[in-house]
Amino acid sequence: MNIFDVVGPVMVGPSSSHTAGAVRIGYIARKLLAEQPRKVQINLYGSFLATGEGHGTKKAIVAGLLGMQTDDERIPMAFELAKQQGVDVSFGEANLKDAHPNTAQLILQGISGQTIEVVGQSVGGSRINIASIDGIETNFSGDYPTLVVHNQDGPGYVSAVSTLLTEQGINIAYMQLYRSNRGGDAVMVAECDQEVPQHVMERLKQVDGIGKVTYLGMMGDE
Amino acid sequence: MYHLISDIIRQSEENECVFWEIVQQADADERGVSKEESFETMRKMYQAMREADEHYDPKVRSASGMAGGAGQLLHEYNETGENICGDFVGKVMEKAIKMGESNACMHRIVAAPTAGSCGVIPAVFLVAEEMLHLSEDQMVEAMYVSAGIGSVIAENASLAGASGGCQAEIGSASAMAAGGLAYLQGGDAGQIADAAAFALKNMLGLACDPVGGLVEVPCIKRNVAGAVNALTSAQLAMAGIKSAIPADEVIDAMRRIGNEMPSNIKETSLGGLATSPTAQKRIV
Ligand code: SF4
Repeated sequence: MNIFDVVGPVMVGPSSSHTAGAVRIGYIARKLLAEQPRKVQINLYGSFLATGEGHGTKKAIVAGLLGMQTDDERIPMAFELAKQQGVDVSFGEANLKDAHPNTAQLILQGISGQTIEVVGQSVGGSRINIASIDGIETNFSGDYPTLVVHNQDGPGYVSAVSTLLTEQGINIAYMQLYRSNRGGDAVMVAECDQEVPQHVMERLKQVDGIGKVTYLGMMGDE
Repeated sequence: MYHLISDIIRQSEENECVFWEIVQQADADERGVSKEESFETMRKMYQAMREADEHYDPKVRSASGMAGGAGQLLHEYNETGENICGDFVGKVMEKAIKMGESNACMHRIVAAPTAGSCGVIPAVFLVAEEMLHLSEDQMVEAMYVSAGIGSVIAENASLAGASGGCQAEIGSASAMAAGGLAYLQGGDAGQIADAAAFALKNMLGLACDPVGGLVEVPCIKRNVAGAVNALTSAQLAMAGIKSAIPADEVIDAMRRIGNEMPSNIKETSLGGLATSPTAQKRIV
C-alpha cells in the first residue's frame, strides 16, 4: 500500500468517498470525453443520492468534469464556474439495478459534439472504478494510462491493438474485453504502464471495425 | 518491506537505523523513487496540514448547518486561561476541532488516514513542533512514523469506518499520532510501538454512526478525543510503561472486533447516534 494513501491525499473535504472519489469520477469522465463538456446530465444512485447533498457530491462531480483535481479549492464553487464556462448541468436519479452504493452515471456532450456515457463508482478511500462506458461494462481504476477501444465483436482486434502498442514499446499492465452480445458492440480496455501517444490512437481509429477510441492519460489536461 | 510493527522494530535493529528510516526506505523501494524524493513528498503532506490549520475560517458553516464555529469558541475559551487542561492540551484540542470543521465545510485538508479523522495528527504534531521547538525535518520524520503505523493497520485490519467502525479511523489516527509523538519526544522503536498500542486499545470497538451519513457528528469532536488520547498514550510509553499486549496483537484484535461489529454501526447510519431521536429530527 502506498503510504501517501495513508497520510494523504491532500483533498477538499468532507468525505474521501463522497467528495474526493466523486471529483475523480468527474475528472476521468472528462478525460474520456477528451474535450470541454457543453452539456452534462448527472444521475446519482444509492448513498450518493441519499447523502450527496451534505457531502458536496454534486459539486464534486461537476468540479471534476471541469478538470479540477481532488485538492482544488474551487470545488465548492463548481456550479458557478460551470455556469461561467457555459456548461449546462442537470441532475437526476440513476435507474440502475443492484449497483454499487456510491454510483454516478454521467451523460456528457462535448463542445465539438462528442458524446459519452460513463458510470463511475466510488469504491473506498478516494479510489474509484469506471464500471461502464456507453452502456458496455468495463472495470478500471483510472490509476494507469488507459486505452478504451470500441469495436465490433470479432477476431483480430485484440492483436491489432496489442501489436500497435508493442511497436511503441508500451507494456499492457491489464487488459479486459467486454461485449454487449456476440458479434455486437464490444469494448476493449487496456491499462498501460506508459502513456499512449496521439498518433497511435489515430492509427487505431483507421482500423476497420474499430469505432470510438478514448484515452485516459496521466498527464495534465488535453 | 514490512508487514507488522515488529518487522519495523526488527529491521531498525538489524540495520542500525531508526523507525522512520525503515518506512522511508520501503516507500522509496515500492514507488521507485529516491529517499530524498520520498522525503520531499512527505514534507509536502506536512506543509499541507499546516496550511489547512492556518486557513481555518471561524465563520464558515457546513451545508447541513450542524458544523462550524466550535473551533472559534474553543479558541476564545483557551484565551481566558480557564481551560484546566493547560496550554499544550488546550491548543491540541483547538486545532483538532478546527481541522474537523474545515473538512466538513469543504476546505482543503490532508486525509490522515481519512478525511473524517484528518484533525488528529496535525493537532498533535503542529502543537508539538511549536511547544517543543522542533525542526520541520523532525516533523517529517514523525510523519513517516505515523505512516508506518497506519500502513500496518491498513494491511492487517482496516482504515475505513465502513469496514472497521470508527476505531479504524479515529482509532488509527490516534495510534499514528501517538507513535509519532513518542518519536518526537526521543522514544525508541519499542516506545513508539507501545504508544500506538495504548492509543489503539482505548479506541477498540468504537462505532461509526455519523448523523445523516455526514462526516460531522460525532466525527468532528472525536478528532479531539483521538488527539488527546494520543498525547496521554505517548506519555505512558515515555514513562517506560509497557503495553501488556504488543501493538501487532492489538491491531489484530481491532480487525476481529471490526468484523464482529454489526453493519448498523459501520458507516451505514442505521444505528447508534444516527438513529437517536434528535438526529432523526435534524436530518430530514
Ligand atoms: S464516525 Fe465514521 S465517518 Fe465519522 S470519523 Fe468515525 S469512522 Fe469516520
